[in-house]
Amino acid sequence: MNNKIAALRKKCGITQEELAAKCGVTRQTIIALEQNRYNPSLKLAHDITKTLGRKSIEQVFEME
Amino acid sequence: MLGKPHWFKRRKYGGWGLFPKTWQGLIYVIAVCAIFAAIQFLPLDAQTKMIVTILFAVVLVADVLDIMRRIPMDERERLHEALSERNALWAIIATLTAGIAFQAYISAASQTMQVDPIIIIALLAGVAAKAATNIYLDRKN
Repeated sequence: MNNKIAALRKKCGITQEELAAKCGVTRQTIIALEQNRYNPSLKLAHDITKTLGRKSIEQVFEME
Repeated sequence: MLGKPHWFKRRKYGGWGLFPKTWQGLIYVIAVCAIFAAIQFLPLDAQTKMIVTILFAVVLVADVLDIMRRIPMDERERLHEALSERNALWAIIATLTAGIAFQAYISAASQTMQVDPIIIIALLAGVAAKAATNIYLDRKN
């Protein structure tokens, strides 16, 4: 699964630390997600989508 | 109970338990060591000293478990911990099984029973814990 977290996060002007705090995870998890090394749970994908101001998960995550 | 979860982090690379993260955590560790040492110098007989030491150890283990339970973990950290604990268990099972095989070989060679029942009990306890966990998880989700 690929994602656009890094690009969307920069567009929103928030840091990895802030995104991590808002989603209740560590910064390391955000780093792993941005580097496509970790597939999040549906809940975390949903939380990230909401935090990045997107309406659907597909706008942030895409299946390969 | 006594220690705060934000004083510590879970041990990842050096076994199980806690590692101090802040100066308060370091003070906690030093205090535990100081109390343990002080107990040994109390003017008590050996049996009473042993009982006090065991009581202190029980309180300490309960506190450590409570702190570990309250240290927040996100889903990735939880996954990593589950996988590392599983691998640790496989290593333990492999070692215990090899131990039983070795003891069985010695028993057969010497015609005497030399298999340690504690090892067998440990493996059976693992089987019971696995079954109980699966029953709980099957019912839960």
